[in-house]
Amino acid sequence: MQTMHALETNTTIGKAHRGRIPIMIRTLGFGTFLLPLTVFMLLVFCVPLLGVARASFYTNGTWTLSAYREFVSGALFHRALINTLSIGFMTGLISVICGYFVAYHLSRMPQRKRRLYIILVMLPFWTSILVKSFAFTVLLGTNGIINQALQAISGTNVVVPMIFNRAGVIIGMAHWLIPFSVLPILSSLLSQDKALRDAAEVMGATGMQVFWKVTFPLSLPGVLASGLMASVIGMGSFVTPSLLGGRQDLMMANLVDFYVREALDWRMASAIAVVLILLALLILSTAAFVRTRLSR
Amino acid sequence: MNTLHQSAKATSRLGRPISASVLIAWLVYLFLIVPSLIVVPMSFGTSNELVFPPQQWGLDLYAKALDPAQGWLSAGGRSFVLGLIATGLALMMGVPAAYGLSRTNFFGQKALSFMLLSPIFAPTIVVALALYLYFATLHINGSMLGLVMGHAVIITPFLVVTTLSGLKHLDRNIENAAMVMGATQLQVFFRVVLPAIKGPVLSGSLFAFLLSFDEVIVSWFIARSDQPTLPVKMYSSIQWEVSPVLAAISTFLVFITVIVSLVSAFAQPENTDGF
Repeated sequence: MQTMHALETNTTIGKAHRGRIPIMIRTLGFGTFLLPLTVFMLLVFCVPLLGVARASFYTNGTWTLSAYREFVSGALFHRALINTLSIGFMTGLISVICGYFVAYHLSRMPQRKRRLYIILVMLPFWTSILVKSFAFTVLLGTNGIINQALQAISGTNVVVPMIFNRAGVIIGMAHWLIPFSVLPILSSLLSQDKALRDAAEVMGATGMQVFWKVTFPLSLPGVLASGLMASVIGMGSFVTPSLLGGRQDLMMANLVDFYVREALDWRMASAIAVVLILLALLILSTAAFVRTRLSR
Repeated sequence: MNTLHQSAKATSRLGRPISASVLIAWLVYLFLIVPSLIVVPMSFGTSNELVFPPQQWGLDLYAKALDPAQGWLSAGGRSFVLGLIATGLALMMGVPAAYGLSRTNFFGQKALSFMLLSPIFAPTIVVALALYLYFATLHINGSMLGLVMGHAVIITPFLVVTTLSGLKHLDRNIENAAMVMGATQLQVFFRVVLPAIKGPVLSGSLFAFLLSFDEVIVSWFIARSDQPTLPVKMYSSIQWEVSPVLAAISTFLVFITVIVSLVSAFAQPENTDGF
């Protein structure tokens, strides 16, 4: 009773103290929490991005489409674009397939055990890309661990070229992207209602049938979305193609770097960046569309 | 492919054949974990060439890594300070922003949260180029200020996401109770909300620090070439000549990753899946 009373007086005091604060100001109150980051992101992210778009059209005091014209006609840009798309989709596909086996394995174990096994995915996920790249140069090189092992086993001087070529880029990038695809696939598998599988089993479906008729179709939207997501992340990659690829494996990100550092042509670098981000937006919105469409 | 599940269950009493899909899953685990682990034994070799397994064991590579003349120590120190400041900035902006996002519902809020989180989706090279051009006009390329701002752009959205997931588990009635008792919004935030989400915020900021400490692309564009961060120095070192010292540096980075993961695993509540 006494606490009730105290509570009442307290609220009246609070009310008197704050006056009749309309809801608007209260919302603005939460707005103050949002304000610092919003201002920061506007000034240090949005304005710079617009600056890139501007720099791709505006050179020496005039507006021009010349950078985009060069992009459309130049063989170097075609190669970089094709490399970016093919390496991106290829590694996206590989990482979804590999990631599915891991996610499926993780989804069928008790939670306590899963917390332990997921370390095997999270440790590489959080390991620096440079540590991985260094490790792959040691593993895949001509005198690398794998080639030495192959020579020891076969007793010949066989050397499998696995670095400074397409294979090196794809191995390195798949390693980077697999954890990105494991997590969404795992959460899609875990969110499935076990009753559906049980029902299929009760009706006489074999394990294989349960998987292909129930589990896999239900996980498909998540799988497609995470595959496209992984491809987009891969398409922006810079370190892996630069350190593990050869001259033929230049991707758009490396071209941006080349135009900033070597050619000192900000206009061209900006145009390539604009094309890259439009590509990413296109694929990401396809992914969002696929997910809403399929999960309906 | 999944039969394994069924068949393994069915035959486990007879001696448990391992199914193909579990085998593949293990091969993928192996592929994922080997690069992080292989650098550890390599770092205790002594030769000037990269050979595995090392012919002789010793701490020579660590001595070389810690030799101030090599520049690894100062690059590491630079990255550490940069990581601390950027994480502090991310905490000050990101945690309140996450709270604001989770407790409001206004027109355009979806667009705002997309804007605040978009550095996660944007290709890092584009962010790096954008900041490089922007900082060039502001004349802060190569400065610590530029690096801190660049890193804050990259890591703050990540901290917002982890804080949001922590706020999801928080019962709003506790905040309402505090409000009813006369607490102001700021008091509610600092004395009710923050203490309740300190686990996820702590683990989020540890990973944010790690993101900054390992960040290479933005730093590659912004940092002065004679004052590189640790990842930038590693990047140019791998590019030109793969030196065995890198094994020692890599082992150190793997060690930091393990520490951060362990600490944050303890900071997370029991019922989450740890990611």
